[in-house]
Amino acid sequence: MIRDVALGQYIPGNGIVHRTDPRVKILLLIAFIVFIFCSFSFVSLGIVTAAVAVIILLSDVSLKLYLKSLKVIIVIVLITSLLNLFYGTGDPIFKWGFISVTMAGVYRAIFVSVRIILLILISSCLTFTTSPTDLTDAIERLMKPLKVFHIKVHEIAMMMTIALRFVPTLLEETDKIMSAQKARGADMESGGIIKKIKAMTPVLIPLFVSAFRRAYELAMAMECRCYHGGQGRTRMKTLHMKGSDCVGIIYAAVVLAGIVLGNIFFTAVI
Amino acid sequence: MSIIETKNLSFTYGVGTPFEKTAVDDLSVSVNEGEVIGLIGHTGSGKSTFVQMLNGLIKPTSGEVLLDGINIWDKPKEIRKIRFRVGMVFQYPEYQLFEETVRKDIAFGAINKGLSGDELEATVRKSARFTGLSEDLLEKSPFDLSGGEKRRAAIAGVIAMDPDVLVLDEPTAGLDPMGRDLLLSQIIQYHQERKNTVFFVSHSMEDIARVADRVMVMNRAKLVMFDTPRNVFARVDELHEIGLRVPQITRIMTGLREKGHRFSEGILTVEQAFDEIVDRLKREGKI
Amino acid sequence: MSFISAENIKFSYDDSEKTVLNGVSLKIEEGEFLALLGHNGCGKSTMAKTLNAMLLPTEGTVWVENMDTKDESLVFEIRRNVGLVLQNPDNQLVASVIEEDVAFGPENLGIPPEEIRERVDESLKAVDMYEYRTHAPYKLSGGQKQRVAIAGILAMRPRCIVFDEPTAMLDPNGREEVLNTIDALKKRGITIVLITHYMDEAVLADRVIVMDNGKILLEGKPREVFSNVPLLKKHSLDVPQATELAYKLMGAGLKVSKMPLNTDECVRLLEEVLG
Repeated sequence: MIRDVALGQYIPGNGIVHRTDPRVKILLLIAFIVFIFCSFSFVSLGIVTAAVAVIILLSDVSLKLYLKSLKVIIVIVLITSLLNLFYGTGDPIFKWGFISVTMAGVYRAIFVSVRIILLILISSCLTFTTSPTDLTDAIERLMKPLKVFHIKVHEIAMMMTIALRFVPTLLEETDKIMSAQKARGADMESGGIIKKIKAMTPVLIPLFVSAFRRAYELAMAMECRCYHGGQGRTRMKTLHMKGSDCVGIIYAAVVLAGIVLGNIFFTAVI
Repeated sequence: MSIIETKNLSFTYGVGTPFEKTAVDDLSVSVNEGEVIGLIGHTGSGKSTFVQMLNGLIKPTSGEVLLDGINIWDKPKEIRKIRFRVGMVFQYPEYQLFEETVRKDIAFGAINKGLSGDELEATVRKSARFTGLSEDLLEKSPFDLSGGEKRRAAIAGVIAMDPDVLVLDEPTAGLDPMGRDLLLSQIIQYHQERKNTVFFVSHSMEDIARVADRVMVMNRAKLVMFDTPRNVFARVDELHEIGLRVPQITRIMTGLREKGHRFSEGILTVEQAFDEIVDRLKREGKI
Repeated sequence: MSFISAENIKFSYDDSEKTVLNGVSLKIEEGEFLALLGHNGCGKSTMAKTLNAMLLPTEGTVWVENMDTKDESLVFEIRRNVGLVLQNPDNQLVASVIEEDVAFGPENLGIPPEEIRERVDESLKAVDMYEYRTHAPYKLSGGQKQRVAIAGILAMRPRCIVFDEPTAMLDPNGREEVLNTIDALKKRGITIVLITHYMDEAVLADRVIVMDNGKILLEGKPREVFSNVPLLKKHSLDVPQATELAYKLMGAGLKVSKMPLNTDECVRLLEEVLG
């Protein structure tokens, strides 16, 4: 079951968001992160919130899953907004002992929490609607220009592909080794943190040994299949821009215009 | 007297999730002290889950496992103690080796059990001897051993806990015929000296025929047969239906029976078949 | 000239003085099914790896058609023609989607995308895994994974496939699946070299070579080779139970004209004898 959890990010579907080119989705994600942090007025923040909401509703992924992804960061949101609440400058609207809350602090708290929530939602949307292979593929293609700076783009992407492939295998293996050591009376549950870390040695060493063995065999299998780096390599799946991708780009442009206008014509509160 | 007994033992994976699956369903079985039990069934029949419930690595969703008449989950905090009494050798056990030397690795389980000093040293030596590992190998790193030696070192590590019940999950998988024969005879010899109870899980019907006193057959989470190898392998058609094959020699003798020749049912070894055929040929004066 | 020929091959690893191969010569004809037998450490796996230039002999030459495996410029051409399937199916699959894994070989060869698609579909159909093409490998059984690995080699359209103990880690069902696949490939005219220590697999081959201690011990048709029961047993090799029974009966004075290799042949033989 551990395997299903680990790969639980991608939710297969056939909505417009799923069908959009992964490169466009990555670029849109970056654009939206910029938008989220460049919304300085309530109107701008409202526009970007609405824009994210529209994408999420279109995404063909149940809202429950989005709520689940927020659950993990709820504590972080609470702590940061509380800190912001108390560290505002200006006239206090509330005072109790050394704690004082200002209007600016309230605004700041609202902005920070909304921003974090939007950030999580929009990036979850990308991982929910794009398969890991499509993601690595898109990253490889988007990073291609970096080759000019002698960055090994193909090698990085290949490493990501292989890592994704072997995560479930190694998780399963960890499970097996843990069972085997428990069967030899290893105690992994009791004791303090140091004892627990020490108790993991019998699991970690075999796991590393096995990972190296797998890496060795995989390298051999890859050579048997004529792998020789990115040079002269073609791909079965080529990415082509489609109509829906242009819709995405236009959508981002409209949102950008809204935010710019919102920032110009309404008071910046942060 | 029965040393290990299960009562309506069941286990279901992922209760309440879409992956819910019953791996062991209402399994009741009673095994006597000193017996060798062969356990067969194809991949996914629930064999592995069943044996992992015997030493408390998996907690049953319902039913119980009795060791010497006592439910092993009576004191959940002391479940670790059960693992010293029911030793478990997993499939490809060589992947669990981790210590600097073979000696230390074999000692791991015994130290966890609380052994030390001379007692520990004696146990390690004895276990190494049972599995045919020579003294000079004990100081080597387990990672420098050959494939077959690694396997035997890993098995020695479980034997060192001196369990009353020994579970072996596919101990010969991946070995060549030479390694397989050697390991099998060592297991038989150990059993004869220690007189412990053994569960032997295998896909190899030939191996099962060689070692088992009784055979459990599992299919789709259920125990479908539990009898002597001779009686189990006589049910060729039923075994075939659940996707299990009998040893080749049994198929040959069954083929001859079907053609009207009167040979015993459930012949398991080449020697048995040879004796019956020679008997018959001599009677008829053909040799 | 034979399709593949090895001439007096010797091999030892850099860091060891032990000779793994000690003067092996063999010829493989196009379309042939050759089984290479022997216990662990006899040199059969090393031999396999010299056939597609994964290992280069320290002495002697391996020719694939007219290509010397030592010629570095020909390495990809040789590996494209002679595919190698390894023992552990898990460690041969590169991608997390099956069809993308099968595409890996042709992608490395720089085949145009449309043709890769064609080859991938064709290869997956040949191993009967087409309906799983969008699945993830980790959810498959061992036999299915191994078939995907075979498809990955097949997509390079090799003329020969060398199988290095492809069933050693599989259960009986997985073994059967893989053997049926190998049989189907042989019928398509692909040259097969099967390395195994299961005699019942070697029985399916046109020709069997038994190796021991880095040398060829026996060579011939399966029936000829398996008739040497005492020699095989002496070298700790398994003999099918059908053959062993017939051999023992011969020892007891029974005349056996044709050594049985499988259940049916043995039943037929005994039928005749018993009348």
